[in-house]
Amino acid sequence: MHGYEIANAIQRASDDVLQVEEGSLYPALQRMLIKGWVSAQWGITAGNRRARYYQLTPAGRKQLAVEISQFERVMGAITRIIQTA
Amino acid sequence: MSWPGEMARRLAALWRRRRMSAELQEEMRLHLELREQEKVDSGMAPCEARRAARRQFGNATLWKEESQMAWGWDRLEQFVQDATYGVRAMLRSPGVTLVGLLSLALGIGANTAIFSLINALMLRSLPVKNPQELVIFGSGLNNGISDQFPNSELYSYPFYREMQKRNAVFANVAAASSMLNLVHGTVEGHGTPEPMHIKLVSGSYFPTLGVRAVLGRMLSQEDDGVKDAHPVAVVNYAWWKRSLGGDRGVVGRKLTLGATVFTVVGVAPPEFFGHQLGESPDLWIPLAMQKEVPPGNDGYADSMAESLHLIARLRPGVETPEASANVNVLFGQILRGLPNVPLTAQNLTELETTRVELQSLSRGFSQLRVQFSEPLKILMVVVALVLLIACANIANLLLARSTVRERELAMRQALGARRSRLIRQLLTESLVLALAGGALGVGLAVLADRLLLRMISDRSTPVPLSVPLDPNLLLFALAATVTTALLFGTAPALRATRTELTSSLKEGRSPAGMAGRPHLARLLIVSQVAISLALLTGAGLFLRSFVNLAHVDAGFHPDGVILLHLDPASAGYKPGAQLNATYAQLEERLRAVPGVDAASFSLFTFDEGTWNNGIWVEGYVQGHRDRDVHHNVVGNDYFTAMGIPIREGRGFLPRDSASSQRVAVISESVARNLFPEGSPIGRHYGSHDPQNAGSTEVIGVVGDAKVHALNEQLEYVDYLSRTQVDFFYLNDLVVRYSGDPGAVVGAVRQTIRDVDGNLPISDVRTMEEQVAGSMPDERLIAQLSAFFGLVAVFLSSIGIYGLMSYLVTRRTNEIGIRMALGAARANMLWLVMRESTLLLLTGVAFGIPVTIAAGRLVASMLFGVGATDLVNLLCAVMMLALVAALAGYLPARRAAHVDPMVALRHE
Repeated sequence: MHGYEIANAIQRASDDVLQVEEGSLYPALQRMLIKGWVSAQWGITAGNRRARYYQLTPAGRKQLAVEISQFERVMGAITRIIQTA
Repeated sequence: MSWPGEMARRLAALWRRRRMSAELQEEMRLHLELREQEKVDSGMAPCEARRAARRQFGNATLWKEESQMAWGWDRLEQFVQDATYGVRAMLRSPGVTLVGLLSLALGIGANTAIFSLINALMLRSLPVKNPQELVIFGSGLNNGISDQFPNSELYSYPFYREMQKRNAVFANVAAASSMLNLVHGTVEGHGTPEPMHIKLVSGSYFPTLGVRAVLGRMLSQEDDGVKDAHPVAVVNYAWWKRSLGGDRGVVGRKLTLGATVFTVVGVAPPEFFGHQLGESPDLWIPLAMQKEVPPGNDGYADSMAESLHLIARLRPGVETPEASANVNVLFGQILRGLPNVPLTAQNLTELETTRVELQSLSRGFSQLRVQFSEPLKILMVVVALVLLIACANIANLLLARSTVRERELAMRQALGARRSRLIRQLLTESLVLALAGGALGVGLAVLADRLLLRMISDRSTPVPLSVPLDPNLLLFALAATVTTALLFGTAPALRATRTELTSSLKEGRSPAGMAGRPHLARLLIVSQVAISLALLTGAGLFLRSFVNLAHVDAGFHPDGVILLHLDPASAGYKPGAQLNATYAQLEERLRAVPGVDAASFSLFTFDEGTWNNGIWVEGYVQGHRDRDVHHNVVGNDYFTAMGIPIREGRGFLPRDSASSQRVAVISESVARNLFPEGSPIGRHYGSHDPQNAGSTEVIGVVGDAKVHALNEQLEYVDYLSRTQVDFFYLNDLVVRYSGDPGAVVGAVRQTIRDVDGNLPISDVRTMEEQVAGSMPDERLIAQLSAFFGLVAVFLSSIGIYGLMSYLVTRRTNEIGIRMALGAARANMLWLVMRESTLLLLTGVAFGIPVTIAAGRLVASMLFGVGATDLVNLLCAVMMLALVAALAGYLPARRAAHVDPMVALRHE
């Protein structure tokens, strides 16, 4: 997926709940590129334009797993706190 | 997610910054356009769609910058930006930049250069094995051949051999000729003879010093055992590279000196130059082969041919006092036991009281060191002071510059710049200035050391001495100046960025801004003035001393005289009839050359060494020490050629020949003091031995002439005829001319070629050059102290100018108000001039005691001028005042020409 598609995907997946400036995607992508979590390749879009397509690398997949488990732990804790209240 | 992988990607990002930036841009543009298209497709108006897309995306520039920060090079980019900005700022005010750079370069360059020379000349150890174990007999400063008995400075070869055999304190003893002989020799494969500097050394020389060959072998004891048996030579590394083209097959190559063919056996290591600083022999040849160096030399077995320096390596565990005791016992024993020594009662008494001093040879020895150590020490102090002035100047310049920028800084801070970012920027700018100055300084040091070497050389070719830049001092000078630059370039920034923004912005150049008057800047200026005064006064003293010296009556007239050196030995001449005939023919034909007034050969002229011993006058008994006379051997026209006046009697004439009565011309002081009763003409004397007292008849008296140096006391001189003394090579040719010197030199060269095409001319110079070359130390200190004195004054005046300009700029508003209220222009002029005059006077008041104290320290080096010379001090004060007044006047005039309306509207 290229940047625009990623932004759209996030929007769709969150049912328009997450309203962030779309530009903030790019610093994040650059950081992940440097870290080696995603790789990028230039390709041609359906509308016949040049675009950069991003793909998760194995290292990125591993990092994703770590982040998700981290997030779930925090989320779980928050859920528990809300429920006990 | 390995670390090296990330680093590689970061470096790639740095390397392809531009492309990655473009890619990012393209990607973001695509995003915006697709979003815009989407909105249009859903029915939005095009311009509305674009705005909405942008709103949704956020600040594109900010996101781009943040993306780039992910690459991790933002610090570096900022540094490059700051540095570029710094360079642009420097170029915008070229005057300030130039003075700053000049101050830095001079401060760093001059200190490094002088200290490097001091290090090379006085502090560095000889490049040999354990140099601290080496000693030399005597001072090592005498050179030549002597027949004095006893002699604790120069030694004969038989003495060296006995000392080597009988001592109990040295690991080894070596001998080396006290002279460096210039001989013309032919290298196998080279067609023509070329000049070679040759050092005669004993076979033990290299083993004693512990020097190993880089190619082949060095000389050994065996090479020196039997007279004329081993014609071998070791070549200097530099000479091997230069003259033999670094030939790897040099071992076994032949070279011809006179009638002997020598074989090269080895190449010395590149750093080795012998044991004498400022000397660089091309070849080392065993003393046993001395008959060709110079040709006819025959002192190998002669115990009265004292021409050697003795050096020795102490045995491990032996200290110098113990060695000295042993050497002094042996000294007497050996001398008494040598064959053919004049053991007169007087000589034996002398022997009782003569002691050999052992000196450390760890740093080598050098006439240069004796001659230049005082001037160099003084110059070191001078340049250290210049460094201080330079630092003060840099401090003032940067202080003024960054204070002027206070408002700019406040403005930028108000617009959101972080304080740390601003400080970093000023630091970078100062660093750019400091580093540029430092680089210039290093370049200057290299150049300056070359110049210095030329200045300490009395020949046209510089002294062969390697002077590497001293890294320690370079670092020190760099650190001093760079720290100053950073400190004073940034300190105002620190202060400025701490202030209340609003007050700084509002006040601008209002009178309240005057509250922070630069006391530090004033203090710096006062010390600059004080130091400048000391330097300027010192320079005045040295200059006048030098001028006095140059105007000393030498006793001869150096103007209109050319001095040539011939090398008859290399052309196969032996001293005696054949050479005399050629010389007579040359003198005869030269006299006929147009433009030549007189021409004569001589043994010495001025500052070329001497041959001296005591004389005995017939029928007159004198003390021992005061009869030492310098002998010169000259042609008939020598007195005319040199311009030495004949006071009484006559000079040499053609009738004074080898077969006639031996005659001499004596100098006035000899006539006055050694021939006390009546006219000396017709009386007899002799030298070397009382038995010779009747040998030579005095035929004339000439004026006294200087022998070694212009500042020497009266020296006794006598002159003998070239036709009657033929155990020496005469190779000086003195030519007095009128008209164009170039044409005369050409004609003289041609005449020499006509008489003998093989007779090499090794050197041509004017007698004035020869005289100037006799005082390189005085010239060095006079020229350099004058230069640095002027630099100091220049820098101080720039300092005053800078401070005054700065004050005037800050007070423009105030001046405008005063003038609007009716103040006269002259008052405004005075307002500023008063300030600069006060600074000058305070500086001078502090400077005078310092100057007087400093003058006393250098009193011993002055000639014909007192250290506390009032006129000199007054001149320095006047000059300083003049320059300071000018430096103060320019900004003052600007203040006086302020237009009140413009000034008041200004802020």
